[in-house]
Amino acid sequence: MAEYLGLTVDIPANDPDHIEYLQGAGEGRLVLQRCSDCNLLRYPPGPACPYCQSLEREWEEVSGRGTIYSYEIVTQAINPAYRELVPYAVVLVELDEQRGVPDEHEALRVISSLVDGDGAPEAEENVAIGARVEAEFADLGDGLGLPRFRLSDETPEHELWQFPS
Amino acid sequence: MAGLKDQYAIVGIGETEYSRDSGRTTRAMGVEAVRSAMRDAGLGPDEVDGMLSYHGNDSTASPTIATDLGIRLNFYMDCSGGGSSTEALIGIACGVIEAGMCKTVAIFRSMNGYTEARIGGTGRQAPAFRSGALQQGIYGMSSAAQSFAPSFMRHMYEYGTTSEQLAHVKVAHSKHASNNPKAFYKERVSVQDVLASRWIVKPLHLLDCCVETDNSTAIIVTSVERARDMAQSPAYIMGVAGRTSKPSVGYHWRSGPISRVAGHYARPIVFGTAGIGVDDIDVTGSYDAFSFTTMLQLEAYGFCAEGEGGDYVSSGIIELGGDRPNNTSGGHLCEAYTHGMNLVIENVRQLRGKIDDYCPNWQDGEHTYDYSEGGCRQVRDAEITMNLGWAMPATGSALIMRR
Repeated sequence: MAEYLGLTVDIPANDPDHIEYLQGAGEGRLVLQRCSDCNLLRYPPGPACPYCQSLEREWEEVSGRGTIYSYEIVTQAINPAYRELVPYAVVLVELDEQRGVPDEHEALRVISSLVDGDGAPEAEENVAIGARVEAEFADLGDGLGLPRFRLSDETPEHELWQFPS
Repeated sequence: MAGLKDQYAIVGIGETEYSRDSGRTTRAMGVEAVRSAMRDAGLGPDEVDGMLSYHGNDSTASPTIATDLGIRLNFYMDCSGGGSSTEALIGIACGVIEAGMCKTVAIFRSMNGYTEARIGGTGRQAPAFRSGALQQGIYGMSSAAQSFAPSFMRHMYEYGTTSEQLAHVKVAHSKHASNNPKAFYKERVSVQDVLASRWIVKPLHLLDCCVETDNSTAIIVTSVERARDMAQSPAYIMGVAGRTSKPSVGYHWRSGPISRVAGHYARPIVFGTAGIGVDDIDVTGSYDAFSFTTMLQLEAYGFCAEGEGGDYVSSGIIELGGDRPNNTSGGHLCEAYTHGMNLVIENVRQLRGKIDDYCPNWQDGEHTYDYSEGGCRQVRDAEITMNLGWAMPATGSALIMRR
């Protein structure tokens, strides 16, 4: 059985949208669904295209590169699996693909963990809106993986902004 | 409901003690709150024939409460939901009465929100990560505070909103609570107290977050024809919007601006029906699960411009004695957490002119209007109130009432 942070990852066999997403990550690839009719990518995975309601889709690997759009620093964990990891950052990453499509307010935005090279929570002083990130993948077992992000060495998209605390 | 403006009214309100140790079942508390609201309205068991409640598998359903109180129902429904349900269910009550399904509806919420089912979980269970956890929960984002914080942070980034500005929401509501004998937290706090309280999830300090309490609350809705014969002066329903959503409601990050909340969409509905504007509102009840939720909703409904919420809430306007006080009971930050009910109940009391403060003759509607600690919290000549209900950034409800 797949596991993450000591907890079972239990995705039922009748949920291919999520199984195939995690299988892609298990191969070290960030894969998203692309609508076979209107040709738009979408996230999160789901049974229909929110832009044209088509039920037909294919999986496509994306670059895994993006920019931190917003974030939070959790200092009091709710899930016991995270209790030893505080403080940790949860980031909202805007992926490079399909920004401002189909309208200026839409983008492929992904909630995820920001981790360092060892897979531990990235230090708070390095977390900032505007910072460039790239996907990395935690092994869940059973051929499944979990996409996470780490800081990349790319030039920030704009001046970095940090919560003044 | 454009044609239904002023055709329905809230005629009864009831509540249990707001505590952290009810020592009772949600059934016993629900019975007390509904009974209290019936007595407030002067209604017997044969005069209430509709019942609505909402819950998150943490309550007792209508058939049990009705049976306990000897009420035979022509309509009942128990809905799944938390914040923003209050206003939505008031709208549903108007609708089912209008449809001829029943005549008078009691709405209740009963929750042991501290001793049994805490919002966000108790931390005792360690469930597996299932499909629904893959977008947030598996990354350590599960509580309400954790789920909303990136929207709050983005507002600070986009508009320069500060923690100090937000702290004024707690300061104002604690001032109000100090004049409310029922409030769980009655102590006045300063901006510095808020900023010095420990972090929960940045940008939220402990005192930016609401209290957790055990309580039940009830509201009775009926038609104006019936309302005229009841014990209290009616609070007339001018307009209501229920569980309005942003695009991508299940995952609102997809559709920006992420610091714009659902009130943006509820605003034209509720003001359109009521036929009034923000300048006509004397008192607001902007849901304060967090200091930020109060601010973001006041922005979304147009009490200030988008991005200017920090200035608005720190200007003194939202305090008793200011031009448009918010959550005069102390709200969720100080009085109790009820998933919205106590914020509507407070506004009904404001419209009656019978706020239950420390004024000696408040029951006769006599108030001192002295808002110093341990004093009055009645707003002078409150004619129109507005409730801004919050479930999450992507879902909200609203209610405008008049006396």
